[in-house]
Amino acid sequence: MAEFKWVWSYIKKYKYMFLTAMFMVIVVNLLNMVNPIVQGWLVDKVIKGGQTELLLTLAMILISTTLIKSVFRYIYLNLFEHVSQNVTYNAREAIFKRVQELDFEFFDNTKTGDIMARMTGDMEAVRHFTAYVIYSIFLHVITFVSVVIILFSINATFTLTLLAITPVTGILAVKLAGKVKPAFTAIRNQFSMLNSTVQESISGNRVIKAFAKEDYEIYKFSRENAGFKDRNVEAAKIWEKYLPVLDSVAGFLSVVIILVGGIMVIRGNITLGQLVTFNSFIWALNNPMRQVGWLINDTQRFAASADKIMALLNREPKIKSSEEALNGVKVEGRVEFNNVCFSYGENEVLEDVCFKAYPGQTIAVIGPTGSGKSTLVSLISRFYDCTSGNIFIDGRDIREYDVRELRENIAVAMQDVFLFSDTIEGNIAYGIPEVSVEKVRWAADMAGARDFIEGFSEGYDTIIGERGVGLSGGQRQRIALARALVRDPSILVLDDTTSSVDIETEHTIHQSLSEFYRNKTAFVIAHRISSVKNADLILVLDSGRIVERGTHEELLAKKGYYYSVFINQYGDFDKELTGAAC
Amino acid sequence: MARNKFDIDEELDTKFDFKQLKRLLAYLAPFKWKVVSTVLLMLAASAVALLGPLLVKIAIDDRVPNKDYAGLVTLAAIYLATLIFNTICMKYRIRTMTYIGQSVIYNIRKDLFVHLQKLPFSYYDSRPHGKILVRVVNYVNSLSDLLSNGIINLITDAFTLVAIICFLLFLNLKLALICLAGLPVLIAVTMLVKNAQRKSWQKVSRKQANMNAYIHESICGIKVTQSFAREDENMKIFLGQSDDYRKSWLSAIKIQFLMWPFIDIISVVSVTAVFIAGVRWLGTGGVTVGIIIAFISYIWRFWEPVSNLGNFYNAIINAVAYLERIFETIDEKPLVANLPGAVEMPQIKGAVEFKDVVFCYEKDEVILDHVSFKVEPGETIALVGPTGAGKSTVVNLVSRFYDIVSGSVEIDGRDVRSVTLESLRRQMGIMLQDTFIFSGTIMDNIKYSRLDATDEEAIEAAKAVRAHEFISAMPDGYNTQVNERGSRLSVGQRQLISFARALLADPRILVLDEATSSIDTRTELALQEGLQRLLKGRTSFVIAHRLSTIKKADKIMYVEDGRIIEQGTHEELMATDGAYHKLYTAQYRLLEVS
Repeated sequence: MAEFKWVWSYIKKYKYMFLTAMFMVIVVNLLNMVNPIVQGWLVDKVIKGGQTELLLTLAMILISTTLIKSVFRYIYLNLFEHVSQNVTYNAREAIFKRVQELDFEFFDNTKTGDIMARMTGDMEAVRHFTAYVIYSIFLHVITFVSVVIILFSINATFTLTLLAITPVTGILAVKLAGKVKPAFTAIRNQFSMLNSTVQESISGNRVIKAFAKEDYEIYKFSRENAGFKDRNVEAAKIWEKYLPVLDSVAGFLSVVIILVGGIMVIRGNITLGQLVTFNSFIWALNNPMRQVGWLINDTQRFAASADKIMALLNREPKIKSSEEALNGVKVEGRVEFNNVCFSYGENEVLEDVCFKAYPGQTIAVIGPTGSGKSTLVSLISRFYDCTSGNIFIDGRDIREYDVRELRENIAVAMQDVFLFSDTIEGNIAYGIPEVSVEKVRWAADMAGARDFIEGFSEGYDTIIGERGVGLSGGQRQRIALARALVRDPSILVLDDTTSSVDIETEHTIHQSLSEFYRNKTAFVIAHRISSVKNADLILVLDSGRIVERGTHEELLAKKGYYYSVFINQYGDFDKELTGAAC
Repeated sequence: MARNKFDIDEELDTKFDFKQLKRLLAYLAPFKWKVVSTVLLMLAASAVALLGPLLVKIAIDDRVPNKDYAGLVTLAAIYLATLIFNTICMKYRIRTMTYIGQSVIYNIRKDLFVHLQKLPFSYYDSRPHGKILVRVVNYVNSLSDLLSNGIINLITDAFTLVAIICFLLFLNLKLALICLAGLPVLIAVTMLVKNAQRKSWQKVSRKQANMNAYIHESICGIKVTQSFAREDENMKIFLGQSDDYRKSWLSAIKIQFLMWPFIDIISVVSVTAVFIAGVRWLGTGGVTVGIIIAFISYIWRFWEPVSNLGNFYNAIINAVAYLERIFETIDEKPLVANLPGAVEMPQIKGAVEFKDVVFCYEKDEVILDHVSFKVEPGETIALVGPTGAGKSTVVNLVSRFYDIVSGSVEIDGRDVRSVTLESLRRQMGIMLQDTFIFSGTIMDNIKYSRLDATDEEAIEAAKAVRAHEFISAMPDGYNTQVNERGSRLSVGQRQLISFARALLADPRILVLDEATSSIDTRTELALQEGLQRLLKGRTSFVIAHRLSTIKKADKIMYVEDGRIIEQGTHEELMATDGAYHKLYTAQYRLLEVS
């Protein structure tokens, strides 16, 4: 039932449109009764009775009722389509909104194809239900009920006799509804899997080709493709059991007419004329009964999809602004980590991290792969909440801020660069769409991207593919950097932003940034000593703990991890250079 | 290559073509006997169904007035028998037609997917992935109803129509002609709106693709969106896409529904015309009261299949909008494909030679400009130079991801175009700049390059690249579930996994394109040691910015603006005081300056 409540909450917004359409369904249904009557008169009075003067009048009635009827029908069909398009439009909006609110953890564990399936295939079932199924059910119900009332007024006993078989239809319908729902759920699940498999093979096309694994992909795909076919065929096996039987049960009404009706006429319980009338209305009884099975199918198909959509909509984001969140605060950029611990399930990622950073300072984070560097900076933007401890910005716990406003004050250039299939300008301006062209150019310049962008024949208007295909890794990183710089944030996070950029370009970038950093708090994650050595504070992270902290000189003097990294990168350098000079 | 983005419609310039339908019918060919048997059965079923009214008529007109109880029972029994026959036919129809419809969908989707696997990078690079996805999944699904019900209905309705027309002509030629005069009018009207209708459904399919592309990209880029707090702006764009789709749907359906009022009106006008003509001709030319009454009762049976056929016609117009997209993709020529006469690449020894290679992605944009070099088996080649100089392009050409404009790329003296792609690439281990992690376990991901590898071999590879430590530290170890976005793995960890994957392929030629950019230098150093052992005797290409990675290479090539401007060993190049020397000393110099 929850599914129907859910869809009604959307239809409700268009209830006048919906009710108008329903009203028109009734009118059309009544007009449907007119034509057979007029035709009866035409036959009886004009053709048999020879009253030819009535011919034109009756013909005009016939044509005009049909005209009105078909116009009405055209309107209500369109109205239902409007309602259904509006419902799906709003439902898609709700899903999109929810998806945007959900936290990183959700995306870490959910396949893209699954979310896509909710917004496409499942939405199609909702569309069909609201555009077609609801009014069909309504139409059949009113036809059935009104005919039952008419027949009751003619002869109650015989009507009850006819209705005696409806419980059979009812029982079959309930059984079908129960059996077919799981089948549709299985189809929807399989649809998700198929969608995910195809989606991954498209996104991963480079790796697939690199390893010549096309056949393996075809194998994986065929499994899901066959699964989708099988689930559909299995579902058909359920309705092939019920639908034909339901159809014949409806047809059984005529058997009752012949046998029971005939006997009742012979015994004088009803007149022959009444039996003929009953027979002429029989279509209005058996047609709805015939449709019961199909409509139940459609309804359960909708219900299975609605369940999936609702499950996504009901998914609560773990990261939310608190009720009394601070609004309209301009962040200065004081960042403090106080005994911060963070774990993914059982996996402890950060342990007891403490440090303070002030505006104007650059904090560098260095450490082995997987030591928790990216996690550390992602906590500042509250992409995840820390398991224990506190993070303060300007002296306030970050959970007191409105999440979106907090993030507006922080610009992040992520390690895993994602660019959108848009122009380069559109990508750089991503954070502030209304930003001026000059600012975009300025940011590109700061990020050392200006030269290569202007080298493209279409310059800033060059469309780059999804994930930035067509650009080299270093070029993508610089666009992502420019995108962060445009924001002009209080806190800047550069997560390994220049790893694929050559050393000289990197050096130029860092030089131009040093001016930019002046009133900001900057966090820089890097592996190259050259990228971190000028930082005010260098944190060395190992297995989630800060194992060393200090400036470049201090850390070199400690002869610990940092020193060993320095030696790795520059150790034999002096020797060699002097060697070469000799 | 002209790139498409989510909000640019993909135009398609083809006329309405029955070839699309012919191709669709070709998919039905394997099931033709099943289709024929179902059609025959359905015709039999409709013939039997015609008995029903007759039985009731006999009961009312004859058995009841004669008080013939036994006769009533017999009639009821016959009626029951027709119902049972109907049940069987319907059951058979549901079973076979679902099977056929789903099988055809399965086959179309398979052909589409298999073909997509043949298409080169450039196909995927030039359009949003969501637009490819929508074709394979949603467009193909939208054919389902047409295939499982449409075809059978078409044939049975066509039969019914012909039968009724014959019957009407037999009853009375003149009245029948009046009745049939409605048909050409209806056909003329449908032809008139056909173009508008077709265009409107094409628009729907384009808008649907745009919207899907945007949804897809929004999900993939969600982390960026959230970090830039751009949700509101994206919502606006999404609603714009969603609204375009809604509008295109509503205007398409508006045209589509026009069919019904037209059929209603034309049919009622022709019925009235029959009445008027019948009354006027009564008593002449064989027109009797009985004939007119019979005629009127059958005339509606004539319009019912017509209206069903109209329904089918609508479904076809709708389906063609999707079909042409599906077939467009299937017809897309793979730019890089096995040439006729391509042979299996024998085991690669590892000699690679570029002879005067010219390459461009787009016609006027030269990426590699007459590049020539030679690599001996077992050598390690490092490519250095500014970003965008063409380093990745060089290594991409070794695996023949693109075809060159002129010159030749040879491995062991064979032109890469003379061997099959599969046999060539199978022997290469390539680690690309962007790591891609498939959903599944870490173990699945490592084994991706060699599906028959044992767990031990995979773990061995992981150990060699120093990935074993972090993997075994995870609660589920190698069975940890990961997905496309590489959940819970840092970029460095993802690189290590793809590194292990490349290594497990046991490649004859290894290509490392910025393979270690996100890996810390200490891990990298340890990794290099493990690698040295494994790489003995194999040719490898390394692209990196970290010079510690490069120094030990047998040959260093400095690439700039699509040319190799220097090549030699570290020592040789350092002695020349050229670009490499400048680059190398820069890291020291820069450390000092700042």
